[in-house]
Amino acid sequence: MRKTLAMTALMLSGLACLTTGTTAQAQDIQAQRLYNQSLAATCANCHGTNGVSVPGVTVPMINHLPESVMYELLMAYKTGKRTGTIMHQLAKGYTDEQLKTIASVLGKKN
Amino acid sequence: MNRRHFLGQSAAVAGLAFGLNGQAQASSLKSAQIVVVGAGYGGATAAKYLRMFSNNTAQVTLIEPNPEFISCPLSNLVVGGSQQLSALSVPYAGLAKNHGVKMVKDMVASIDRQKKTVQLASGQTIKYDKLVLSPGIGLMMDRVEGLEEANKAGVTLQAWKAGAETTALHKQIAEMRDGGVYALSIPLAPYRCPPGPYERVCQVANYLQKNKPKSKVLVFDANQDVTSKGKLFKEAWAKLYPGIIQYTPEHNVTAVDAKTRTIKFEVQEDVKADVLNILPPMRAGDLIVKAGLADANARWSNVNFLNFESVVAKDIHIIGDSIQVAPAMPKSGHMANQHAKVTAAAIVAELSGFAVNPQPVLTNTCYSFVNATDVVHVASVHQYVPAEKTFKTVAGSGGLSPAPTALEGTYAWGWAKNIWADSLV
Repeated sequence: MRKTLAMTALMLSGLACLTTGTTAQAQDIQAQRLYNQSLAATCANCHGTNGVSVPGVTVPMINHLPESVMYELLMAYKTGKRTGTIMHQLAKGYTDEQLKTIASVLGKKN
Repeated sequence: MNRRHFLGQSAAVAGLAFGLNGQAQASSLKSAQIVVVGAGYGGATAAKYLRMFSNNTAQVTLIEPNPEFISCPLSNLVVGGSQQLSALSVPYAGLAKNHGVKMVKDMVASIDRQKKTVQLASGQTIKYDKLVLSPGIGLMMDRVEGLEEANKAGVTLQAWKAGAETTALHKQIAEMRDGGVYALSIPLAPYRCPPGPYERVCQVANYLQKNKPKSKVLVFDANQDVTSKGKLFKEAWAKLYPGIIQYTPEHNVTAVDAKTRTIKFEVQEDVKADVLNILPPMRAGDLIVKAGLADANARWSNVNFLNFESVVAKDIHIIGDSIQVAPAMPKSGHMANQHAKVTAAAIVAELSGFAVNPQPVLTNTCYSFVNATDVVHVASVHQYVPAEKTFKTVAGSGGLSPAPTALEGTYAWGWAKNIWADSLV
């Protein structure tokens, strides 16, 4: 009896550890998704929530841009290849990696 | 070792594992009561993004006494008469309808930090697990002798919290005699909306030039110089409103006399004016001060910039104009919206059992109208610097417009409509 119980207890804690492992991975993905969403949300003030502008608004639309095109545009603003009224000043404040993340969240998937 | 002891131990091990893995924590995201106070640019955005970032699972209550949102940005156009307040107003209905935020139309009278409750003016008590405070600024009327009474009587106006006073200020200007004097006083920084006063005098001058051209605009700034977009504003004043705007720095208002409409200064001689727009020194919203959360010079709240939690009160997050700012961080509506998103993501992360984002980013863009159509901007990007535990602007980023343009005027309206939707719809 004692042996059986001990085995059960071990199995239970083993199961718990296993669950911990996979959940931790799932959590890392969830956490990263949240960080990425919150980074992309820095654009929403001017370009709309999730990059979707209020209809008829004069700020240039971004939500039709494929991910790769959006990243290229952001990098062009950052490096000075492209000028604008304000985007060239803002793009310079982000790392290349951050601009890539923003494009991956807000850009259309190819 | 007896059986019970062994079982107890293994249960504890398993329980620990579950506790750490977040399964138990995830339910706390669903069960936690999150209460947000103040539905301006900060609080409304926090409530909406708490719902969005939690996939609509977090329970979010938003407490706000006003029937609708009225934007402070662009409200100088109402002071100058080229816009109506209704063009800057947005209903709160979208937050409930589109995002499931529970709206409570009331004021928070006090906070019980031990019991983790807020007491409303109506007498109701609401429990919180996480509290987000976004009450805006408090006006320190008592720092200027006679101002409290003068403002109550409507002899002086602040119109710095957009609403009835904004319309009343335009009315006073419209009713002023031609050849009259409009005076604006600016307190020492930090105050809400650094370029706001300088934009306001553009709008007043624009109105007076067309309607009462013999009138004057006097600006008394307690600061050493124009605190934001200085060169651009000075160029606009000289080019667009020659002979109308008279700017004087280092003028600190100490008293007003409502009977004689006189402004008294620390050093200089008294000045009389027809319309007195006196902006007193500012501090965190009254609720913050009353709750003992204004730990920076008894005026602002120090926060942990990773999650905007007060450094003196666990589970109370403070955003927007009420905080002790990081270097070069303006007190603006745009910035409050950005604080809100970092805070919403951090609260969702904490309640889900994972670490908060170690590298948050904030931006600021601010458009100022120099007349009814032409605009200049200032922009900045603020990255969190872990070694210094603060936000810093990125060298080489941000900047100003070279000159006012009508194109940026259209962008200013686009910004407004999109940020209102981003915060409230």
